Amino acid sequence: MDLSIIEKLITFITLPFQSFLTIEILLIFLLILIFLIYNEKRQNKKVKYAITALIIFFFSLLAFYFSEDIITVLSEIVKTIMRCFYFPNIVFYILTAIISLVILIYTILKNNLTKLNKIITYVLTLIHLYLFTNFISLAITNNTSLTNTANIYQHDNMFIIVLFSQIIFIILILYKAIYHFCYIRHSKLKNTK
Amino acid sequence: MWLKDRTMQRKSKNLKSQLFKVGFFFLIVGILVFISTPLRKLKEEVFEEMRLAIFQLNINETNNTTINNVNTENLEVTSENTEQAEANDKKANYSYIGELSIPKIKLRRGFVSKESRYNNIEYNITVANEANYPDVPLGNFILMAHSGNAYISFFDKLYKLQIGDEASVSYNAVTYNYRLTNIYNQAKTGTVAIYRNPNVKTLTLITCTHNDDYNQTIYIFEEI
Repeated sequence: MDLSIIEKLITFITLPFQSFLTIEILLIFLLILIFLIYNEKRQNKKVKYAITALIIFFFSLLAFYFSEDIITVLSEIVKTIMRCFYFPNIVFYILTAIISLVILIYTILKNNLTKLNKIITYVLTLIHLYLFTNFISLAITNNTSLTNTANIYQHDNMFIIVLFSQIIFIILILYKAIYHFCYIRHSKLKNTK
Repeated sequence: MWLKDRTMQRKSKNLKSQLFKVGFFFLIVGILVFISTPLRKLKEEVFEEMRLAIFQLNINETNNTTINNVNTENLEVTSENTEQAEANDKKANYSYIGELSIPKIKLRRGFVSKESRYNNIEYNITVANEANYPDVPLGNFILMAHSGNAYISFFDKLYKLQIGDEASVSYNAVTYNYRLTNIYNQAKTGTVAIYRNPNVKTLTLITCTHNDDYNQTIYIFEEI
């Protein structure tokens, strides 16, 4: 951790030659890269499929050998997402409120959005911001320190407010994502016609 | 003829597309059914972490409280006080009174008081009615939980324990450390005989035997 820049670079360069396994891994990746570059000229379909199969096989092999670790990592990822949803820390919660605020301001200022889209966005963002403001006022009245997450969620009413505002936030983000996806697809179809 | 071919082609395309949609729908439903139990288990773990964090927070707050000059003249109990105490007691039953920790299998889980309605195998690690709390000298603290794949299988990894492994119990802001000294099985008959050294404070964990529907395993830990 406390290495100088030159030491970091030397370590990085010598890293692939530390053992037979690391050399082998390097060779596999180089081979795949060479095949892919070479095939860009030839455009051979068989090579394309063979390399795709090789990559899938290689990563399946890795997944097979390290299956337990992969399951642990996946569980940790899911748990982190669940933590962010059920018990977000104050930084994450403030970040969602800022995103909501930005979306609201963008929607107010943007002229070429449909009326329905604007109304749905106003409703969702304002509910989210209202819940956030409520949360802050509750924290002040309960004299709760927001730095400790456990301190926040020992109050049932604060837990409920955060839970509902997270649900609203997810609906807002999903709505925006689906709307933009459909909008892009619609405009692409229009262009092709 | 050409028109007929075109209609047939379109029909078969529509049928294929519909079959694809139905197949995709069943695939999604299948995946959801398949991952629902692990997801519930992970959700339970996340909630458990928060419950333990709140429990630790309350312990720290208790430790920071000092009692000075207790006035014994105002100890008379009024009906208002009783109502308040009952309300507090109800609320207290929802929170943990202690925590069991077994580092080897990464188990950290709280337990509630014997009187709590949540002292039930369907909600928590359960404190047996016959158990003594860990602060009782030479007592036997008995805990029970499910094992298996359900999200309430809190003792699902106990079978990995070996003699000499350690466990600890936090209770009343004191941590009691134990070492595993005996593991034995008994048939599921509704009762369990506990064989332990009566001259040592012990912790007993009871759960169903791993991959066995007819037996239960008893783990005896002795205080270090």
